[in-house]
Amino acid sequence: MIAAWWHRRYSTRETLLALLFLAPSIAVFVAFFYRPFLNLVYWGTFESRRRGAFFESVGLRQYREQLTSDDFRQGLWHSIQFVLYTVPTGLVLGILLAVAAHRRLKGIKIFQAIFASTIASSVAVASVVFFFFLNPTVGIFRVDWLNNPDMAMFAVALSGIWRHLGLSFIIVLAGLQSVPDEVLEAATLDGYGPVRRLLRITLPLISPVLLFLLVVLVIFGFQAFAEIEILTGGGPAASTETLVFKIFRLNTPDSIGIGAVYSVGLFLVTLVVTGLQFAILERRVHYGD
Amino acid sequence: MAIDARPDEPVGPAQPTAPAPAAEAESAAALGEVTLSGAALGVGPRAAAVTVGRSPLRRTVGMIGQYAVLVALAVVVLAPIALVLIQALSSPIRYIAAGLPLHPVGIDWKDRTWWSGGAASVILRSLVILVALVWLQLRVAGGRIWELSRFRERPVLALAVAAGWVAVVLTTNPIFAALADGSSNAPALVLVAVLVVGATQLIGFQAGARSWWAALILAALAGVGLVAVVVICFGAAVWTDAWTRADLGPAMVQSLILTILITAAQLVTATLAAYAFTFLRFPLKGLLFAFFLGTLLLPLEVTLLANEYTVRQLGWTDTYQGLVAPFAASAFGTFLVRQGFRGVPPEIRDAAQLDGYGHLSFLWRFAIPLTRPVIASFTVIAALAAWNQYLWPRAIIDQASHETAQIRLRTLVSTEVAQSNQAIAAALIVAVPVVLLLIAFQRQIIRGLTAGAVKG
Repeated sequence: MIAAWWHRRYSTRETLLALLFLAPSIAVFVAFFYRPFLNLVYWGTFESRRRGAFFESVGLRQYREQLTSDDFRQGLWHSIQFVLYTVPTGLVLGILLAVAAHRRLKGIKIFQAIFASTIASSVAVASVVFFFFLNPTVGIFRVDWLNNPDMAMFAVALSGIWRHLGLSFIIVLAGLQSVPDEVLEAATLDGYGPVRRLLRITLPLISPVLLFLLVVLVIFGFQAFAEIEILTGGGPAASTETLVFKIFRLNTPDSIGIGAVYSVGLFLVTLVVTGLQFAILERRVHYGD
Repeated sequence: MAIDARPDEPVGPAQPTAPAPAAEAESAAALGEVTLSGAALGVGPRAAAVTVGRSPLRRTVGMIGQYAVLVALAVVVLAPIALVLIQALSSPIRYIAAGLPLHPVGIDWKDRTWWSGGAASVILRSLVILVALVWLQLRVAGGRIWELSRFRERPVLALAVAAGWVAVVLTTNPIFAALADGSSNAPALVLVAVLVVGATQLIGFQAGARSWWAALILAALAGVGLVAVVVICFGAAVWTDAWTRADLGPAMVQSLILTILITAAQLVTATLAAYAFTFLRFPLKGLLFAFFLGTLLLPLEVTLLANEYTVRQLGWTDTYQGLVAPFAASAFGTFLVRQGFRGVPPEIRDAAQLDGYGHLSFLWRFAIPLTRPVIASFTVIAALAAWNQYLWPRAIIDQASHETAQIRLRTLVSTEVAQSNQAIAAALIVAVPVVLLLIAFQRQIIRGLTAGAVKG
């Protein structure tokens, strides 16, 4: 009977072929995504003894202790700081650039290319550029932000903002181009000025795009690593040690249990933040039809 | 076309449109970048909304204002790169307070000729110039860089390319020498070089451009651009110094191999998986697709420690398999290609089935060719990400000789400020392949980046 049901719905050859086609991806996802994650969850229940010579199972105690430790909170706070510095500014600048360049003028393509150009720079390139840009001796501004605990995170965030300008611009511009002209014409006939048209019509219409950009920027923000390692190395006085940076350093045998807890913590944080964004903003977002 | 005026305002005759800055407008139009006709300029819906019922003077002022805003924003966006380029091309000694016992890297202009530096570098330099010249000539003639057949139709274009190469080689040689000697003749030599190179390009431009003065402006721009690029990029010693000191050659080769391997692997695995999800019937399809998308919640940053452990256990540190394996499949790519495959009309599939095409030949002969734009977008995006990646190579590369170009940049930052211009030069060199990719595949990149954002 099962055989009859099977043959009515599927063909064995097709199923085997599908398995063959999916096998490489599944192998990679199991080996380098799911299994490592489950490993980390498991490792989090082991505390290192005698500098990692052996590990003792302590159950969830390590999770309780480490997720409430000052060090974890510090890393989390620095990650949030980075996100707070980069995301709103990035969104606003992306909208500003896109609105400025969404026009029918001669030569506008040149300006669009310039605004999008920062996607050409990798995170390492942008960090080198900003390292010397902000260098107190050879830099343009002669400021010592990178060695000032109060300003270091802001300086690191500057390079992040600049690097993502191109991406924000491209995404918002694509959104603006999808707004039908008739809608704006109708608004104009109703006596809406340019500013009101932008705030009341255009931005609400492209809110799905803005939500997408917001989520992308927040995720990038929580994952930032290279700019921190290159620009400040976590310093000064650990003022730029974000969660990812701390995780990167916790790879030694005597700290891998803590590192595992931190990794799971990072996973939960991104999951919660992204989920919240969708849950809160989804209701306000206009998806059209 | 657009709605011209509000009901309560008189509808006047079409106003003449205000001219944009002549040089830019003409060059853009002649380059075929801007396809707007004069009529569309300023009377598109948005422009109309702003300019309705205004005098031509106010409209001109408004347009100048728009350009002013755009220029100001462009300056802000480009400022870091522009300032840093200047920094790379100037000696840090002038920044450093006197008395510091440093050995700054000067910005020497290589006292060399075109023929020094070995055959390889001469060929490479010449090749770069030839490609630039071919691109220029074909672009002005309204073609693309790969449409080489146009040279047969218009031999004058080939003449312009050949003459341009000779002119660049002959006229920039004395500039290198003059700059190296600090001779005061340098500005005059630059002027001569610009004029001669521009003149050779005029031969080809005047056949393809819209008017003779557009050709003239384009030729002048081409002359200035070519000479500036050649002198700055080939003449300044800082580039070669940065290249050798940072040992960028092997690092760039490793990055290139890594990029090709990751892109190829993702292309194969994602296309196969997308085919299975689109065209094959098998049980638990929805669950498996969720399994794929679930990996988007597990970025490398989260699984870093465990993956690093795995790779170290396998002894794959400092190897290509260690660098590639975690990136050999892509849920994003599978999703993107699946979207493309879904656009393949069912009739084509049925017809192919009737004609006896098996799944593999259908995939190869129909599905892939029909979704080429999507696959191209994904390829370029994957290549960009692979070239730019930092965290994973940083975690599993122990030996300096196996570092990728991005990782190598980090070691330059910690060096003393006296060599800052070398570090910056190295960073700009590492960005060059990406810039070339961007120029060549603009449309594909934009499509790929906005794939998740905008429907359709």
